[in-house]
Amino acid sequence: MLWVDKYRPKTLDQVIVHQDIALNLKKLVTEQDCPHLLFYGPSGSGKKTLIMALLRQVFGPGAEKVKVENRTWKIDAGSRTIDLELTTLSSANHVELSPSDVGFQDRYIVQEIIKEMAKNRPIDTKGKRGYKVLVLNEVDKLSREAQHSLRRTMEKYSTSCRLILCCNSSSKVIEAIRSRCLNVRINAPTEEQIVKVLEFIGKKEGLQLPSGFAARISEKSNRSLRRAILSFETCRVQQYPFTSNQAIPPMDWEEYVSEIASDIMKEQSPKRLFQVRGKLYELLTNCIPPEIVLKRLLYELLKRLDAELKHEICHWAAYYEHRMRLGQKAIFHLEAFVAKFMSIYKGFLITTFG
Amino acid sequence: MPQDIRKWFLKPHEKDKDKGSANASKLANAAPSNSEQINPEPVRAGQESSGRRKTSKYFATDKQKPKDERETEELPIKRKTQNDNDESVKSKPLKKLRKVDDGDDDDFVPPTVNRNSASVTPSKKLKSGLGRGVAQTSVVDVNEVDEDDVKNTESPLKSNGRGRGGRGVSGAPAGGRGRGGGRGGFMNFGERKDPPHKGEKEVPEGAPDCLAGLTFVISGTLDSLEREEAEDLIKRHGGRVTGSVSKKTNYLLCDEDIGGAKSKKAKDLGTAFLTEDGLFDIIRASNHGKARAQGESKKSEEKVSISLPKQSPQKTEVKSNSSATKVAHKITTSVSSPAKRKDQNIHHSSLPWTDKYRPKVPNEIVGNQSLINQLHNWLAHWNEQFLNTGTKQNGKRQNDPSAKKAVLLSGGPGKGKTTSAKLVSQMLGFQAIEVNASDSRGKANANISKGIGGSNANSIKELVSNESLSAKMDRSKHPKTVLIMDEVDGMSAGDRGGVADLIASIKISKIPIICICNDRYSQKLKSLVNYCLLLSFRKPTKQQMAKRLMQIANAESLQINEIALEELAERVNGDMRMALNQLQYMNLSMSVIKFDDIRKRLLSSAKDEDISPFTAVDELFGFNGGKLRMDERIDLSMSDPDLVPLLIQENYINYRPSSAGKDEMKRMNLIARAAESIADGDIVNVQIRRYRQWQLSQTSSLASCIIPAALLHGQRETLEQGERNFNRFGGWLGKNSTMGKNMRLLEDLHVHLLASRESCSGRGTIRLEYLTPILKQLTNPLRLLPKDEAVKKVVEFMNVYSINQEDFDTIVELSKFQGHPNPLEGIPPPVKSALTRAYKEGSKSRMVRAADLVTLPGIKKAPKKRIAAILEPSDDKIGEENVDVLAGSDEENSSDTEDQVDDATKSEKLQTELQSLNSKGVQVQLELKETKNSSAKKKPAGRGKGGSAASASSEKKGGRGSGTAAKRKR
Repeated sequence: MLWVDKYRPKTLDQVIVHQDIALNLKKLVTEQDCPHLLFYGPSGSGKKTLIMALLRQVFGPGAEKVKVENRTWKIDAGSRTIDLELTTLSSANHVELSPSDVGFQDRYIVQEIIKEMAKNRPIDTKGKRGYKVLVLNEVDKLSREAQHSLRRTMEKYSTSCRLILCCNSSSKVIEAIRSRCLNVRINAPTEEQIVKVLEFIGKKEGLQLPSGFAARISEKSNRSLRRAILSFETCRVQQYPFTSNQAIPPMDWEEYVSEIASDIMKEQSPKRLFQVRGKLYELLTNCIPPEIVLKRLLYELLKRLDAELKHEICHWAAYYEHRMRLGQKAIFHLEAFVAKFMSIYKGFLITTFG
Repeated sequence: MPQDIRKWFLKPHEKDKDKGSANASKLANAAPSNSEQINPEPVRAGQESSGRRKTSKYFATDKQKPKDERETEELPIKRKTQNDNDESVKSKPLKKLRKVDDGDDDDFVPPTVNRNSASVTPSKKLKSGLGRGVAQTSVVDVNEVDEDDVKNTESPLKSNGRGRGGRGVSGAPAGGRGRGGGRGGFMNFGERKDPPHKGEKEVPEGAPDCLAGLTFVISGTLDSLEREEAEDLIKRHGGRVTGSVSKKTNYLLCDEDIGGAKSKKAKDLGTAFLTEDGLFDIIRASNHGKARAQGESKKSEEKVSISLPKQSPQKTEVKSNSSATKVAHKITTSVSSPAKRKDQNIHHSSLPWTDKYRPKVPNEIVGNQSLINQLHNWLAHWNEQFLNTGTKQNGKRQNDPSAKKAVLLSGGPGKGKTTSAKLVSQMLGFQAIEVNASDSRGKANANISKGIGGSNANSIKELVSNESLSAKMDRSKHPKTVLIMDEVDGMSAGDRGGVADLIASIKISKIPIICICNDRYSQKLKSLVNYCLLLSFRKPTKQQMAKRLMQIANAESLQINEIALEELAERVNGDMRMALNQLQYMNLSMSVIKFDDIRKRLLSSAKDEDISPFTAVDELFGFNGGKLRMDERIDLSMSDPDLVPLLIQENYINYRPSSAGKDEMKRMNLIARAAESIADGDIVNVQIRRYRQWQLSQTSSLASCIIPAALLHGQRETLEQGERNFNRFGGWLGKNSTMGKNMRLLEDLHVHLLASRESCSGRGTIRLEYLTPILKQLTNPLRLLPKDEAVKKVVEFMNVYSINQEDFDTIVELSKFQGHPNPLEGIPPPVKSALTRAYKEGSKSRMVRAADLVTLPGIKKAPKKRIAAILEPSDDKIGEENVDVLAGSDEENSSDTEDQVDDATKSEKLQTELQSLNSKGVQVQLELKETKNSSAKKKPAGRGKGGSAASASSEKKGGRGSGTAAKRKR
């Protein structure tokens, strides 16, 4: 088992990083009821872990007894029926799902399936818990329509159902929903906290950690705890015993993006653009989300770029990222960004070096 | 001047009226009137020809026209004479075909007589002896004489030395002509250098056919023109471009002597060399001449208009007022195209050309003569084959291809299928009964005797079974009949069982059946094909079509050169009917049709035939993509609004914009702008598709096709070594589907990971962060550790995360990047196979916590009940896959009990476990009955079990276990 999962805190008490939040949550649910919750924060900060621990706190270990269903839902949308395939993770008392998985038809999920689920009040033998919990992942990726249909559901079925929403950025969640929830901001753990966790794991695994090695990993991890633990383990697989200056292998796709960036920097020509397109396609077909690609590409370009261009390039990256979200065919926008960059950079080179 | 002509035709008309033959057709009028008025004509011609070309032509054609008309009437007249047993005047083709069956003359005549008698009789009445005399001479002769006349009158005007008999020359190389040759070197095109002074010279505009009759061959790189441009230029001016040098080549157009095969041969043959500038000079020179000619013609026009009023009053006296005003109107409108007006007047009320010039004998059909012969033979031998000996030899002949009782003619529209079917049957003396899509052709009533006079289908049945007709035939020697089933592929909704019924009819038929369809590969006709002799009409060559079109144009005194006609033939895609329609339509507005007119006209009507997306993209990006009108561009991009943008997106990088020249910086800028515009198009497209804003579709085509093409049109160049210089197919579709597939695979993996309950991350996280470590965990041991140990470790890891072998492949697949080493590199094959074996070994005792829908055998779709049950997660009566999962979870829980869970929860868990197991007991029974195969996988692993909870559960599971054990033995 990967260490990330092995050392994931199962209860609110075991939480190392966000102890204060865990404590608050625990207090929140000791009283009978709890409000709708919106967890937000960068990835790898522990939202999901906290949610699972919270559920366990509320429903007891039964909450961990989840089953996974991958089902096709038939939805009657006026003139036609739509087949939606959706994976749900459910226990006796909660259902977890990612409505944004189905793409632009997500509002049907919200309008039909979630409503359907929310309507049914769980029958508990003891009659104690009068509600069930719906965990919705990636609400920030929900379309506007879906979010609007969600807000009504939240109010209407609040007697029988609690929603726990989880997302990276609350800015993409509409105001109406945010105001209906208790917002819980989960910060990215600080590097010291990450080091602490890594040392904890090292101790449990009985590893010799050279001084500064954990710090390097946490530095590289971009304050994502998950990332840190995963690369920690990767390093372990790669080479043990550790040396303090051991290379920390990057993710495969990050490596590839950085190759693209250096390709772009080396030559700005239609031919190169064509090759870059091929590589971008490669990333996309390997299921790397286009936003991540663009973000990473910008990051890599900025590393190599002259200072006076950085501002402009950032502007264009943001511009094309925005448009990418409006559009559908991500490659068009990625390519447009690359073409724009090439055009700007080539002009810059010519004016600078003649 | 046009008025005069009109008068010539109107006057006799009135004479006719006087004579009381008011029903005489205008066609008939034309001929006699001209012969009567023949005297003033030469005088006038002499007058006018000094002035302008058009008028002189007009006279020439006018002269020739009546003759042609006589020519067209020749046939009816001949048939008349046949009737009088005057066989000697018969035309050759008729004779030849007639030989096949001699006895049918009587049968052959009646329909034609019926058709023509109306027009023939009056003309005969009016006709002088001259009419027949002319009829003896062949059409070609008349034309040539006329052409020569034209030339004689024209030659003084021409400054380019078109020379005597220019036409003759152009006619002569008919065999070896063809534009195709010019494109022969397309593959080399990409390698050819750009013209050194590309676009720097002004391309002259010359007289439209100043190069007529000249044949050019282009060789090497020209000074300023692309090869296509040069070809276009020459054709526009009436010249011919061929691919290789021959005796007939007039000029070899080249700017540099590269010493290739062409120039060598040209030297051998003594062909003149011509530079690009020389070509321009010729064209310019013609232009001066034309300008002068036009000036003169203007004068003469004035003259005419002055002279007209003088003449007209005298004649209009006799006319009614209305016609006088009409004539007056003509003067104002028709100065530019006098000849046409006259024609129009004649044909205004007459048939469309397609009917007028419908072939009268099979030989006249353009192309596919061998098929027509085949059809003829089949029909000629039908009776002896099937009626006399058919019953006896039926068994033997079944496989003989010629022994099909029906024939199926197939081919695109306008190829002459129906016409040939009719003509052949007519010639063989069959009476054709035509049933087409306008008739209902459903299945006939089983009982035919009931349905006489009822539905059409019944009468067909009746017909083929020949019940009533045979009786008639005996008595009155009624003509043989043939059934023509037209448009059989159009048998659709209304004609239920039509094809099947047709087949049944063919089987019992006592008359030949000719079926006609457009698409022989149509699904509907699959069964019919087996019963028919298949004859597929191909499209006639453009030369064949042009020849026939030329005859018709001459007959209609329409001036058009052969190159233009070939272009027309090419544009209509072998559809003779469409070509004629187009020609007739253009005839309404102009008398002289040039190459450019055809191009212009048919570019807009080209919608009728499919433009492939590739052609559209080629045109948009082509060297003269910038000259297209906006609506043309929209048409092109709308020819396939889904594919064209994709093709554009795929290929726009490959174009070197002619506006940027050699400036790479500018090119990059343009590319960036184009890319942004394409991205715009994508955004608009989302609005269209998602919010149904279809009014934006033009914006979309503008943003995604037209702007990029406008920015970047120019020369295509290759970006990769060895790439062919053609537009690639849009890569997006393929990549998108690959991405979809990979997403699905990733989702499977995700579900399995979730089901393992070790991880609860989202799909994106798994791809971005888990995949690399997991891959390392899976492959590193295989590389480093000894075989057995490695395999054991990996299988263990796979079990923990419920990764099965497909998931393993998925992980490897998703980690492959082009240009990076394969993730499986360095793993020796024996280890791989050992891993597979070990995994398979373990699968007997493995719990797959798969959450995929297990389809029950026998039940195709998951019953609705189960969906309802799943909506209620606390309910335990769920399909067996849930049991499966639950079973898994039970065990997990029991293993969990070992490490952390405190006592209180333990007991609680025990309780729930027992509960669920109780319900499972029922469930298991059910499962054994229903799904025999699914239980094999589900054997409890029994790993990590301990404590009382475990024993209790294993006890309970005993019942189930025995069941599965029994199962596994099978």
